[in-house]
Amino acid sequence: MSLVNTPEIKLERVSMLYQTDSTEVLAVQDVTLDIKQGEFVSLLGPSGCGKTTLLRIMADLIQPTNGEIKVAGESARAARLAQKYGIVFQSPVLYDWRKVKQNINLPLEMIGMKKSEREDRVNALLELVGLEDFKEKYPWQLSGGMQQRVAIARALAMEPEILLMDEPFSALDEFTREHLNEELLSIWSKVGSTVVFVTHSISESIFLSDRVFVLSPHPGRLSSVVDITLPRPRTQEMRNSPEFFQLIADIRDSFEGV
Amino acid sequence: MNVQNVLSSRYFPVVVWVFGLLVVWEFSSWFLLHVVEASMAQSKIPYIHELVYTFTQYGYTLFVEGKATFSNAAIGFLLGATLGGLLAVLMSISKWIEQLTFPYAIASQMIPILGLAPIVYGIFRDEQIARILIAGYITFFPVALNMLRGLRSVDPTAVELMYSFAAKPWMIYWKLRFPAALPGLFSGLKIAAPLAVTGAILVELMGAQNGIGVLMLRNLYYGPSHNYMFWSTVIVGAFLGVVSYLLISLIERIVAPWQPDFRSSGGDD
Repeated sequence: MSLVNTPEIKLERVSMLYQTDSTEVLAVQDVTLDIKQGEFVSLLGPSGCGKTTLLRIMADLIQPTNGEIKVAGESARAARLAQKYGIVFQSPVLYDWRKVKQNINLPLEMIGMKKSEREDRVNALLELVGLEDFKEKYPWQLSGGMQQRVAIARALAMEPEILLMDEPFSALDEFTREHLNEELLSIWSKVGSTVVFVTHSISESIFLSDRVFVLSPHPGRLSSVVDITLPRPRTQEMRNSPEFFQLIADIRDSFEGV
Repeated sequence: MNVQNVLSSRYFPVVVWVFGLLVVWEFSSWFLLHVVEASMAQSKIPYIHELVYTFTQYGYTLFVEGKATFSNAAIGFLLGATLGGLLAVLMSISKWIEQLTFPYAIASQMIPILGLAPIVYGIFRDEQIARILIAGYITFFPVALNMLRGLRSVDPTAVELMYSFAAKPWMIYWKLRFPAALPGLFSGLKIAAPLAVTGAILVELMGAQNGIGVLMLRNLYYGPSHNYMFWSTVIVGAFLGVVSYLLISLIERIVAPWQPDFRSSGGDD
């Protein structure tokens, strides 16, 4: 899949203040960070650290109350309207009335792609996520892990430059999650998009990422950035290596005020 | 098919029930007529075999009059459903339109049909128009209400997904809100369909020339001699309501077969 521009996400002193009638909650305070093109980064932290808020700001689903965000040199809104994003949410959000193949087809209908072209693309995506045999099924006929794979395929359908993932595997059991971690890396190596992955699992963030942005709660702020030096391709055995445990320890130490 | 199969068939209890009910009814009818010797016993619980005989004698008349009622009810139903659906869409688009129209929509439901029907009939002096309008009027509200609920039931994340595709607002309606609202729409339609038939019959009682309601009223006036015919018209009226409900249910199965309610049958095989 081709990359035309160089997408990089740049956050400059971004803050997000939620106001209700009686209270103010500072969800994100002064976050400045930089994500390189083709990089796999994680936003890691406990609940209340603003990691999902940050992802939603990047996705242009909400606008920060302060600070600036640039995506490939333009605004997040422009990037969204240029269909540079693919999003995978915590729940698969598949449409009940559409079969697996039709769910993946959905974004392609938006851009008015020709039917024959769409079919080829959908078949390629089904192969990519290993669900060729399930394309005629309805979402409720699939397991949670399979549903999330459909959601990933759908997010990749428009060949987005940036894949935003909001705790996509947190509802799954540990075994399925580790399996999908590996599968996600294999998919990523084929599509080469920039990935921003939100998680509260330290080991998941280490296993997947080039860099981990560690966020601390109340107010949500960036406490440290950890480079993950593990070689690629990553294997399940690496989870048992001394380096892996050292990284876990490093990240644990970098949390503030949890 | 052996005896075991017949007994374990899921239709077996239904058949037993229906048969049992018929026997009890026939017996009660006989009991009331010959043992209790109640006055106008056959008006209270008529013999079923007499009703069956009436249907064989006057089946065609009942069919023609029933058709007149049903076709007008159907037109009114379609009209009311269309307007109700349209209003639901407008209300879901704009809070302002909702606040402007919703109180009137509710208030309109406070008017008793029994009072409204003769007014409408008096204005238009046309039984077909009156039937259509009343059927539409009854249909409108449950459809609008349930459709609106359906349009609002959409998972906010599903809408965000559409935003992420940079979908235009009408795309969000076409690809997401309408399909998601189908279960709501159909529950509204299923409530409204038998009511539309009842509404049409009600108009006929106000002095129409044809329709099952007219037949009902006349045979009621003619007294005991037309008792079986009266009961037949009541049965036909109920039958039209059931048919309208089943028809909508069938359409729902075809249009929105993906609903959780329909899934168990898919899992059995």
